[in-house]
Amino acid sequence: MIVTLAHIQEAIARTVEARERILPLRSTDAIITAIAQAASHWLAPNSHWRARAIAEAPGPTRFSEAMIHEAIQLTFGSLTFEALGELLDRELGNRRVLDEFCLRGRVQSRAHGPRLITHILAGNVPSPGIISLCRGLLLKSANLVRTSTHDPIFPVLFAESLREVDPELADCLAVLSWPREETALTQAALATANAVLAYGDDTTIGQLRRLTPEGAQFLGYGSKVSFGVIAKEAMTEENLPALAEAAAFDVSIYDQQGCLSPHVIYVEERGPLGPRKFAEALAQAMDVYQQRVPRGQLTIEEAAAVSQLRQAYEFRGATDRRVAVWASPTPNEWTVIYEDDPSFSPSCLNRTVYVKPTDSFKRVLDSVQRYSDRISTVGVTPLNERAMTFAADLAKMGVHRVCQLGQMQRPPLSWHHDGRPNLADLVRWTDVG
Amino acid sequence: MLRVSLSTELQQRILAFINGGAGDFESLALEVFAFQREHNAVYRAYCDRQPPVKHWPAIPAVPTSAFKEFAITCFPVAEAVAEFHTSGTTRANAGKHYFKTLELYDAASVPNFRAHLRPENLPMLILTPTPTEAPHSSLAHMLGVVAGDDAEFFVENGTLQLERLQRRLCEMQWQSQPVLLIGTAFAFVHLFDANMTFELPAGSRAMETGGFKGRSREVPKVELYRLFRERLGIDHVVNEYGMTELSTQFYDGAGSIKDVPPWARVLVINPATGQPAAVGQPGLIRVFDLANLWSSLCVQTEDLGVAQADGRFEILGRVAGAEVRGCSLNAESLLKS
Repeated sequence: MIVTLAHIQEAIARTVEARERILPLRSTDAIITAIAQAASHWLAPNSHWRARAIAEAPGPTRFSEAMIHEAIQLTFGSLTFEALGELLDRELGNRRVLDEFCLRGRVQSRAHGPRLITHILAGNVPSPGIISLCRGLLLKSANLVRTSTHDPIFPVLFAESLREVDPELADCLAVLSWPREETALTQAALATANAVLAYGDDTTIGQLRRLTPEGAQFLGYGSKVSFGVIAKEAMTEENLPALAEAAAFDVSIYDQQGCLSPHVIYVEERGPLGPRKFAEALAQAMDVYQQRVPRGQLTIEEAAAVSQLRQAYEFRGATDRRVAVWASPTPNEWTVIYEDDPSFSPSCLNRTVYVKPTDSFKRVLDSVQRYSDRISTVGVTPLNERAMTFAADLAKMGVHRVCQLGQMQRPPLSWHHDGRPNLADLVRWTDVG
Repeated sequence: MLRVSLSTELQQRILAFINGGAGDFESLALEVFAFQREHNAVYRAYCDRQPPVKHWPAIPAVPTSAFKEFAITCFPVAEAVAEFHTSGTTRANAGKHYFKTLELYDAASVPNFRAHLRPENLPMLILTPTPTEAPHSSLAHMLGVVAGDDAEFFVENGTLQLERLQRRLCEMQWQSQPVLLIGTAFAFVHLFDANMTFELPAGSRAMETGGFKGRSREVPKVELYRLFRERLGIDHVVNEYGMTELSTQFYDGAGSIKDVPPWARVLVINPATGQPAAVGQPGLIRVFDLANLWSSLCVQTEDLGVAQADGRFEILGRVAGAEVRGCSLNAESLLKS
C-alpha cells in the first residue's frame, strides 16, 4: 500500500479517537495482560505469527529463518506479564498511577501518558521497535508507527497479533510504512504528536528532531557499539566452553547488527588460560552457532568488507606473531581475529569479532575512551567485586549497561535504553494534597 | 650469484614476452610465483597456509593492504631504484611499491598506452606533476615514460596551473591542432569547474584515470564524459585503470570494457565464496601481472568489477561502504562519527 498524507491523518484521528474512547476505562493490568498474551502467542512452536514472520521477514531483514526464530524468542519471550508489570512499577512506583490517584508519600498522584506517540523505527533488529510500541500502549497513548525499511514485518504482525487478543487495544495502534525521503509524510506524522520516539543514525535523528514541533517531547535512540571483557579469573579450562558459547551468542545474534552486539572481546592476561585460547574456543563456538543459526545473505559490499579485513589479517598473521585469524571454512560466515593491540577496533560486522589481550581493566578503559559516547553495553565475566569497580569506571565514562557475557543481547525490559527510563520520561503527573 | 642471474634471465624472458616475443603466460606465471615465494619471506609464510598451486588462477594474492604494512619485494629494499606510494587513499598510511629496476614497468607501459591512445604526433597536455616533481607517483612516472620530451605537465606544487592550461588549449584550438589531454578525473573536474569552454579540433582525445579521493567534487562517469564533450569538444575519452601496486595499466577497449594485455590476467572474485564470480556478476578485481616480477605477481585490489567471458573486465569502482542494517555502527561509520 502506498501511504498518503490522508492515510497518516486518518490513522492519527482513528487511534486518538480510540484511545480516548477505550483506554480511560481500561486498567493498566488489563493492557499488560493483553500484550503478554499476544506475545505468548508468538512463542508456541506452531504459532501462525511465527510462521508468517518466518515466511515474510528473511527478505527485508536479510536474516536467516533460524535467526528469525531466535529474534522471536528474544523479543516476545521478554514481554511477560511479570516483566511488563515490573517495568511500570519500577519506573512509576506503582502501575495503578496510570488508572487512578494513588497515595505517594503524603500526596495522591496520578500519571498520564502522552495523547499521541509517533514512533519512527529503524534497523532490522525487531525488539527495540516492538518494545517502543508496548511503551506507548502501557502509557495509554495512541500510537502511530513508521516501520523501518529493514523490518516492515514485525511491527505489523505484532499489531495483528494484538488485534486477535484485544481488538480495542489494537485500535490505539496504527503501523504504516513510507519512504524516508517522503519528508512531508514524516512531518505530518510528527505534526500532532505529543511525544516522538525516534531510532536511527545521527543524521536521521537530527532530521527528525528538527521536524518535531516544539512542545512535543523528543526521545532519540542513536546507533551504538558494545564490547566484552573477560577477567583473568574466569579463564579456566572448566569455564572456557561456556564462556566461548556465551560470547559467540552475543556476537552472532542478529548477525552483529545490533547496538548490543560486541565488536571486540578483551581478555585479561595472566589467567590460567591465555587470551589466544579464548579466541580459539570462540571460533569453535561461532562455528557451532553458525551450524544451528546460519548467518544471513550479505550484500556484495558487506561480503567485500569482510573478505578484505580477513585477507589483510591473514596476510599479517602469516609472519606477525601478534595476529592470528580463525575463519569459517566457507568464506565469510564468521571470523575471529586475535590481535595483540589493545586499541578498540570497530568491526565490519556480520560476525567478525576481535579478541584482544589486555593487561588490566584500566587499559581497556583507556582503549575505549575515544568512543565513550558511542558505547551501549559492556559484557563482563565474572561480575564479581572487581568487576563492580570496573563498572563504576565505565559508568563514569558514560556506558549505559554492564552485564554478564552471554546476556548482552538479553537486556531486561526495564533496562535504561541509552541511559534513560522508558516510561518515566514520558508521563505527566497530577498531585492532589 | 647464480640466484641473481636466474632472476635476471627470467626478467629477460618476461621482457621478451611483453615485447611480443615467444612465451606462455601460464608457465611464466608459475615461474614468477616460485621465484617470489622463494625470495619474499612474508609472502612465503602466507603461501604456506594456502592450498598448493597447480595453475596460475590459484596463485595466492597479496592484498593491497599488505603494501602498507610490509615491503612486498624479492630484493633488499635498499637496492630499490624507485618507490611509488599510494596517496589520498582512505587509510592514513601509504602503500609502497619498491622497484629493483623499472625496465619491466616501462616496457609494459609504452606499447599498451600507444595501442589505446594512438598519440602519434599529438601534443600531450598532462594534468599531473612531472615525474621529477612527484618521484613517488606511479602515474607521473608512467606518463613521463610514455609522453616523450615534448609533453607538457600542468600540475606544479600540487596545484593545477589552470591559466597556463587554458592558454595552451586556446592556442591548440586556434591552430587547429588536435591534442591528447591526460589527467586524473579530479584534475579534469577542476578544469571543467573553471567554466571555460573549448572546441578542440577533431582527432583530439583524452585519457582520464583514478577516482576522486575527496580532492574535487565527485562526478559520475556519464556526467564527466558529457563535460568532456561540452567543455572541450572531446568525444574520444579513454579510461585508464592503474594502481601503485601494479606495473601494468589497463585501458578501455570497446566501450568501457578493459583490455588485458598478454602478460597479465584479471579475475573477478566473488567475496562471498573467494572463488571467481560468474561472468557478468560483480566481484573484487584480482590482477596477475608478470611485470610485477620483483614485487607481487598477484594483487588483490579493493575495486569492484565484472568479468567478461573472454577475460576482459569492466570496473564498477571502489567498494562503497557497506550499510549497517541494524542499530550498530561499523568501522567506517564509527570512525566517521
